[in-house]
Amino acid sequence: MVAPPDNDVIWARSLQHSHNGSPGLDGVSLGVRDAEILAVTGPRGSGKTTLLHCLSGQLVPQQGEVWFNNVPVHTMGPRLREHLRRDRFAWIAAEPQLVPELTAWENAALPLLLRGVPHRAAKKAATEWLERLDIGALAKKRPHTLLQEQRQRVSVARALTAAPTVLFADEPTATLHRAERSQLLRTLTTAARSHDITVVLATHDAEVAALADRTVSLLDGRRVATAALPAVSDPEGRSACSLSV
Amino acid sequence: MLALRLTRGSHPLVLMRRLLLAAASAGVGFLLLCTLGYASGHPAHASGSLLRLLWCAVPLAATVHFAVAVARTDPSTRPRPGLFAAGLGPVRLTVLAAVSTAVSTTLGSMVALLFFLHLRGDLTGLPFDGGAAEFLGGGTPLPLAAALTLLALVPLVSSAAGGLALRSRPAAPSEAQEAEDLLTPAPAPTGLPWGVALTAAGLAVEAYASRGSAGSPLPLPGRLDSTPASVLAGWTLTAIGLAMAGPGLTHLCGRLLQAVRPGAVRLLAGRVLMDEASRIGRPLGVVCAVVSGVVAASVLYTDGPRPFGPLTALGAVLVVGCTTATLLTSALEAKQARARTAEALVRVGAPMSVLRIATVLRATVLLAVFAPLTWMIAELAALPLTG
Repeated sequence: MVAPPDNDVIWARSLQHSHNGSPGLDGVSLGVRDAEILAVTGPRGSGKTTLLHCLSGQLVPQQGEVWFNNVPVHTMGPRLREHLRRDRFAWIAAEPQLVPELTAWENAALPLLLRGVPHRAAKKAATEWLERLDIGALAKKRPHTLLQEQRQRVSVARALTAAPTVLFADEPTATLHRAERSQLLRTLTTAARSHDITVVLATHDAEVAALADRTVSLLDGRRVATAALPAVSDPEGRSACSLSV
Repeated sequence: MLALRLTRGSHPLVLMRRLLLAAASAGVGFLLLCTLGYASGHPAHASGSLLRLLWCAVPLAATVHFAVAVARTDPSTRPRPGLFAAGLGPVRLTVLAAVSTAVSTTLGSMVALLFFLHLRGDLTGLPFDGGAAEFLGGGTPLPLAAALTLLALVPLVSSAAGGLALRSRPAAPSEAQEAEDLLTPAPAPTGLPWGVALTAAGLAVEAYASRGSAGSPLPLPGRLDSTPASVLAGWTLTAIGLAMAGPGLTHLCGRLLQAVRPGAVRLLAGRVLMDEASRIGRPLGVVCAVVSGVVAASVLYTDGPRPFGPLTALGAVLVVGCTTATLLTSALEAKQARARTAEALVRVGAPMSVLRIATVLRATVLLAVFAPLTWMIAELAALPLTG
């Protein structure tokens, strides 16, 4: 094993992973620098989510290495990875993934409560973040009464309340309309910059990627210089298709 | 055919539930056939035969209750995007669930028929041929239409009840819609006052009726001792009251569990219990009622030389087994419904131990509330009869 460069928070080398044989990642290497916002772009099915799962320790790659702050993640046991996820990482998915039984502030405070922070302190931190995200008035509502955009804000608040070192966002705006999308992303990136949080943002949207400091493009599970597809000479792929349908 | 294909590919645990249902159906079918055999063998005791038939209604009700729970949790007939994409709407899915139930219960009825004929001595070649020929009316011709009607009772009633219970399930065209449906909480149960009132009324009726009663219009079969009808009415009222109070009590347990500055475990356990109250509370109340009935009966009937016959024992085992299995199946259903939430929690970094401790905490609280309650109801029910 080669030790990673010192200035990278997360460093991955030649990651390979397949889901039950279906190809996912095929030899991706990248480094994420401290307090930067890194966009991982590529079309659907290009391996963005799998890459984020591997980097955040939710998935152990079949081959390759993942290092976090000079500690190997790929050799950790499930319990250690769980600790790492709870204490240092945060996750925002395309779906808000809130707990339906809990109110908005309880959802936002959940990572702190899981770490054993006292009730009062957790509530204070969660309420502060909900107010910064303009949903302080909805703190006592349950997720089923909120709009999708408000739910996603709660999910962002949950990620930020945990004060993570690295925040992984997997297509955080995929289910939102354009106006809501840009507002949510601006809030997220501003908060990350002012609190020195490293963000790894997976997106297929070039506009979203423009907010990042640096962009890594994936295509068919490999890292490429640009995600633009090669020009198509045979528009309907007739010559490649042997079936007559 | 689709029902059979889906059955073939399902998980062993699902098949196990279906087999349990078939076994329960076989038990009830056997009891019903025994009643028929007794009636054809003893034409003079018409009222006794009718009484036996009426007692069969209790295990029948327990089996139908279990069949509905099994149909509800069956993953192969759940509204899911895979079947929806293939064109199965809510009506077809309900039919599919009813057919699956009918298949399991008919299998049980067939086994019951074979076993009954074997014990009666009509089928030969195995040990215990005609072991109970005299008791089951061996030698007298068995009316075919009556036997088939009785055997068809369990499949028909459970399929109809399952279909009715599942007819209002929402369709699930996509994962997103499914997630949206799962977010909507169940309404808080409101039956607690009614349940408490009915339980109290049942106990009062029983206490009032058992003052110096000697007549026995509804004796337990296999036993000549008296069980007055009004006492049974009191027990029935108590049982209905407990089943109605179950969800409200469960909701109350959840509310107390998450009160006063909860940490993560107490918060999750309490809120989940509040949300699951109507799903898990009703079977819990039914189990509570059955167990209190069994405890009270064992207090009353242990003194006699021959407390109860083998058929009464079979009926009691069926009732206790079916209600317990229903409770466990409902708990499994609740767990299935929460799978997505559990996944989200794990993604936030919740350790599996927190989820497990929350589950254990919920079970402990329910046990701590319902066990003393069951014991108390049983003691109160037995008190006027022993005194």
